[in-house]
Amino acid sequence: MKLAMSSLLIVSIMMLAGCVEKEVIDDVNIAMGLGYDLEGDEVLGTAMIPVYKAESIENFIFSSKGKISRELIFRMRHKSGQPIVTGSLEIAFFGDKLAKKGIVAFIDAFQRDPSIGSRVYLAVVDGTAQEVLKGSYGNRGNADYFSGLFQHNEEQGNLPLTNIHQFLFDYYQQGQDPFLPLLKKRKDLVEITGLAVFKDQNMVEVVTADEMFYFKLINDKFSRGTVRTEIDSDEVIVRNIRSQHKMELSGRNPWEFTVHITVNGTIQEYSGKFMGPKEVKKVQKALEKQIEEESLKLITRMQEYKVDPFGFGHFAKTRTRGFDFKKWKSDYPNAKFEVKANVIIKEVGIVE
Amino acid sequence: MREKIEERFQISPFLALYAIVSMQIGIGVLGFQRIISMEAGYDAWISVLLSGISIHAIVWMMYKICETAEGDAVTANLFAYGSMIGKGVSFLFILYFIILSVAILRGYIEVIQVWVFPELSVWGFAAVFLVLVIYIIYGGFRTVVGIAFFGLVLPAYLLLVFGFAFRYSDFTNLLPILDHTPIQLLKSSFHMSLTYMGFEVLLFIYPYIKKPEQSKKWVHFGVIITTVFYTAIAVITFAYFSEKLLQKSIWATLDMWKIVNMPFVERFEYIGIANWVLIILPNVCLCIWSASRIMKQIFPLRQRKAVIIIAIVCLIIVGLLDTRQQVNMFMDLTGKIGFILNYLYVPFLFVSVLIARKVKKK
Repeated sequence: MKLAMSSLLIVSIMMLAGCVEKEVIDDVNIAMGLGYDLEGDEVLGTAMIPVYKAESIENFIFSSKGKISRELIFRMRHKSGQPIVTGSLEIAFFGDKLAKKGIVAFIDAFQRDPSIGSRVYLAVVDGTAQEVLKGSYGNRGNADYFSGLFQHNEEQGNLPLTNIHQFLFDYYQQGQDPFLPLLKKRKDLVEITGLAVFKDQNMVEVVTADEMFYFKLINDKFSRGTVRTEIDSDEVIVRNIRSQHKMELSGRNPWEFTVHITVNGTIQEYSGKFMGPKEVKKVQKALEKQIEEESLKLITRMQEYKVDPFGFGHFAKTRTRGFDFKKWKSDYPNAKFEVKANVIIKEVGIVE
Repeated sequence: MREKIEERFQISPFLALYAIVSMQIGIGVLGFQRIISMEAGYDAWISVLLSGISIHAIVWMMYKICETAEGDAVTANLFAYGSMIGKGVSFLFILYFIILSVAILRGYIEVIQVWVFPELSVWGFAAVFLVLVIYIIYGGFRTVVGIAFFGLVLPAYLLLVFGFAFRYSDFTNLLPILDHTPIQLLKSSFHMSLTYMGFEVLLFIYPYIKKPEQSKKWVHFGVIITTVFYTAIAVITFAYFSEKLLQKSIWATLDMWKIVNMPFVERFEYIGIANWVLIILPNVCLCIWSASRIMKQIFPLRQRKAVIIIAIVCLIIVGLLDTRQQVNMFMDLTGKIGFILNYLYVPFLFVSVLIARKVKKK
C-alpha cells in the first residue's frame, strides 16, 4: 500500500512538472523601462529593453501607439522577435502633456499585474518620455542609471521618497495629493529638475529643484539633503543629516496648522574665514529663518493651486472625529499655516 | 463513556497549541484586511481584538462540552440528543470539514493562478496535494499534529518580511481611534471571525490530548497568539495602505510583499506563496482527519477508507469551482456555516449537554 502510494505521488509530480507556462530569461525581451507620451488622440508607448553585450549593456527601443497600457505592449509584441515581459520593470515615465491629462489609467495596469513590484519609479518628463528613454547613459545600462539616479537622490539628496506605491498611497489617501519627480533631458544626461504636483490625477504645478529641500522636509518622515544659506554675505552649505517634522493643529475655525521642523546638520562648506561658535549660531539663526520663510512660501503656493501634497487634510482628519472632506475642500484655501524651524549644527567638519 | 484512546496515539498537552494556531492561520491571512475594513474602516483592528476575545468564551464552552460528555463532539451529540439526531448532527460536521478544506485548497490554488501560474490545472494540483494529505493522515494523528508544528514553525520567518513595509508606512492612518459606531465594529468583528475559524477542531481532537485539563492553558495561549498576530498584521497593513487603496487590494498581504527588496531575490511574493503551502497543508490535513474520524464513529467504516472517500469528494468539489466569483461565493458560504457552528451551535450544544447531564443524573 505504501509503495503504491508513493509511486502514485512520484508519477503525478513528474506529470505536473511540465504543465505550466515557463519564461526562460534568454528567450524574452525584458522591458526595464516604459514611457508614455500623448500624441494627438492616442498614446505613444515606448519600451526600453537592455541588450546584453560582452562589454556593455546596449539599449533597444520598441514603440507603438494605442489607447491603454497593455494594448501598447501587445502591439509592441507584433514587432519583436521575442515576447516582451514586464516582470522586471524598474521605471515608467510620462510625458508632461499626458501627465496633465491624467495618468492613473496607465498605472492601473501596473497595479493589476502581480509581476510588477511596488518599487517601480514613476516620473514625469518635461518633454517626451521617448527622448529620455532613447538616450544611452553609461555602460551599465539605462535602467541601472535611472534607478540609481532616483535611489541616491532619495537617500542622500533632496528628492523626497517616491515610487509607485507612494504615488498610489497619496492618490488614494483622502486629503492628500500625489507628486512625482520631474525629469528633463540635457544633452547626454537626464536631470531631476523638480517635482510635478498632481491634483487628483492631473499634473498642475511644479516644485523647482531649489524648493525640493523644503518639500522633503515637510513631506518625508525623516529626511536628508543639502541646503545653501548666507551669513554676512558669506556662503554656507549645510548638509542635513537627519530631520524630523511634526504637524500641529493649532486652530479649527479657520484651520490653523503649525509645522515644527527639526534639522540636525553639519557644515560642509563655508566661504568665509573662520567658523567659530559665534558663526555657528549665526548659521543656525539664518537657516532657521530661511527654512521658515521658504517652507511657508511653498505651502501657500500649493494652497493657491488647491493641491495638498503634504496631506494637511489627512492630518486634520486624524485629529477630528467625523471629519468632513467635502467641507475641507472649501476650507483648505482659507487655512492658515505657520512653520517653526529648529536647526542644530552638530559639527563643522574637520577644520574650524 | 467510550473506550479511551490508547496513549501511544495521543499528543502532549502543549502540542494542542500548534494544532489550534495552525488551523486558525490559513488562507485568510492573505486578504482579510480589505474585508474587515469595509465596515469599520481603519478602526477594524479593534474588531480583530474583539472577535479574538470572543473565541476564548467559545473555547471554554468546548472544553466544558467535552469534559461533560467525556469524549469528542460526536459523543456529546449522542449524549445530548440520542442516537438518531446525534448522528445526523455529527454528519453535518463531516460536510462542514469537507467544505472548509475545499475552501482552503481552492483559495490557495486561486492565489497560485493569479500570482504565479495562470495555467495551473486545478485538478492536477489538488490531486497531488490530496495524495500528500492522505499519506500524512495514514501516519496517524501524531503525524498530523507534527505537520501542524512544522507548518507553523518553518514559515514563521515570513513575519520578518513585514519589516520592509515600515519605511513606507504612516501610522497616523489609524487616527482618530473609534471613529466608527459600535454596530460597524461588530459587523467587522463578524467578518473577522471567519478568518479566525478552524479552532472548532478542538471538539474532535480532545480525546487525543493526553491530559486535557493541562492543555487548556495552551489552547487559550494559542488563541492569544493568533489574536496578537492578526492584530499586528492588520495594524501594519492599515499603515501601509491608504484606506481607499486597501479597498482595491484583494490580497493585501501579498501586495505588501511587493515592496520587499533583497539583493538575491527580485520578487519576494513568489517565495512567500510557495512557502504558504506549508501553512495550508496542516489545515487541510486536520480538516480531513476530523471529517474521517467523525465518519468512522457514525458509520461502520474504517478510518482509512473514510479518508479516501472524503479526499475524492474534496477533489470533485475543488474541480467544480471555476471562476473568482464562484470561489468567492463558496468562501463566503463556508464562513457563514462556520460562524453558525462556532457561535450558535457550540453554545446550543453546551446548554443541551448541561441539561442532558442533569436529566440523566436523576
